[in-house]
Amino acid sequence: MTVKIEASSGGMPHNTIMMYGLIVSVVCIYLTYLNQLTDTQWFAFFGGIGAIAALWWGSDTIKHLCSYGLGTGVPSAGMIAFGIGAIAMVFATKFDIATPIVAIIIAGIIGAIIGYIANSIVNMNIPVMVMSMCELAIVGALTMLGFSAMCAGSFGFNNLVVAAGSGEVIMAIIPELGVIVQSGGPLFGASVIGGSVLAVIFILGAMALQHPFNACLGPNESQDRTLMLAAEVGFLSMIAVAVMSYAFIDGLSATIALVVSLLGWYYTFTQYVALSKRDAFMWLDAKPIREVGGK
Amino acid sequence: MSALGGKAAGGEGINWQGVAVGIVIIIIALGITFAFGSEGLVIPLLGIIIGGALIGFGVHFVPVGGAPAAMGQAPGIATGVAMLAAGAGLAGLFGGAWAFSATGDFLTAVLGGAVGGGMMMAITCLMVNLTYVFAMGVPAASGKVDKDPITGYSFPEYKSQGTEGHGLPFISYVGGVVGGFIAGLGGTLIYIELLLVYSAGLPVLLEASAEAVAPLAVSLAGILAIGFFLINAVLSAYNITGTIEGPHDPKFKRVPRAIIGCAVASAFCGLISILIIVAF
Repeated sequence: MTVKIEASSGGMPHNTIMMYGLIVSVVCIYLTYLNQLTDTQWFAFFGGIGAIAALWWGSDTIKHLCSYGLGTGVPSAGMIAFGIGAIAMVFATKFDIATPIVAIIIAGIIGAIIGYIANSIVNMNIPVMVMSMCELAIVGALTMLGFSAMCAGSFGFNNLVVAAGSGEVIMAIIPELGVIVQSGGPLFGASVIGGSVLAVIFILGAMALQHPFNACLGPNESQDRTLMLAAEVGFLSMIAVAVMSYAFIDGLSATIALVVSLLGWYYTFTQYVALSKRDAFMWLDAKPIREVGGK
Repeated sequence: MSALGGKAAGGEGINWQGVAVGIVIIIIALGITFAFGSEGLVIPLLGIIIGGALIGFGVHFVPVGGAPAAMGQAPGIATGVAMLAAGAGLAGLFGGAWAFSATGDFLTAVLGGAVGGGMMMAITCLMVNLTYVFAMGVPAASGKVDKDPITGYSFPEYKSQGTEGHGLPFISYVGGVVGGFIAGLGGTLIYIELLLVYSAGLPVLLEASAEAVAPLAVSLAGILAIGFFLINAVLSAYNITGTIEGPHDPKFKRVPRAIIGCAVASAFCGLISILIIVAF
């Protein structure tokens, strides 16, 4: 057994993480638009990847904010982020192709106002509060947008509120009566928002955002381990979203998303265990307990 | 930068400059809503603002102990403000939503939500106290006051040395139930106002019948009401900075700040969520 002693110092600056997280997230969410261009649903899983990129960035923001000592638990920051994110994301989905950009702008404005309230009305007086709330709100909105896009195959308001396949116009031509146009009527209750799948996405994302720093904080906290845990929990949430997406997109596309999320989870989980072993004081591989005189 | 090394900075007093900006934000939100939908949308927004303020007020009654309470070193329920408030609020929301769909009466629904929230806190406080007394073996004693303001029982004889008290005294229990009641009231008020806005606005937006849109309106209002509840609960938690014993705690004097803060936050978030039904 060898114990490798290796300390991680400094790490990536927060602004770099923010830029990577924001750009990867927006680009991946836009890649789900390939579904419309190619008339398939194979690219739905890009939404999940975008959500994980946002969560990865958000974990570092939470670390930044919570190191000032909020007085309340780390999870509260994740909850408020998704509370704002839900409102901003639903509002933004109405803007069709501009949705991710509008989500960022609206979430940023609400986050800045909430940060101002926390700082100036509630008297928190934390220097990074406004910026952190702004970032966390954007993370919340992008995560929910990414997972919703993955679930429904698209981020448009109509795709999120109308069940797939319903509301198609059935046309029948009967010689005696002329053309009869009949509509099955859109099913709103069986959609991502109408079926309250958005509520599950809300909690899956909030858990993935609040858990990494809450689990890794302490004197031995190291950035790469926390961020790897963020990706791991993100993929874990993505597995659940992929399972839910079987109800909304075709089986092949949902299976692609499930396989991608399972592979991603396996890779990040093994990496996280390796990083935990690196940071642990000592690691003893557990073996079954043998009884004295036993075989 | 040390992890969790800093000290919570919540000072006393009210920052009047911040309050003035907050009031301006409320007025702007009301003005924009009026411009888009005249009185039809302004009254729901007022309901949302009042609901948010009620949540902020109610959360301060709930005895929150956090991790020290779990170790028997501080009185209160052994978890954070956000979790407790979310529990009480969601229980209230379910109660109110059921009452609204069953009766359709505004007052019954709002009171149903309040009773749901209060009952959830009553059960939580009872089971927490059973655990403290019979499983951890600590008597209920507050460290902030010498006598229980309601029963008059004295605390110092029962308080362990080096702790801030432990268990859940009667005043904290009453505070928990009152807090759950008020927070549940606020949460249900927000839900019903959003539901009324969406069931009126979504059929026009989606060009569909009101019956077809009903499930969508219910779930959208429900999800956003949860979001509102968490935003207001966390802002109140930031105001409390960690733990509070109930209405007898000196930190309770900070409550005006949370009420103003939650009203401003609800006003702006309410504006955005009402604008969902406006076609651009």
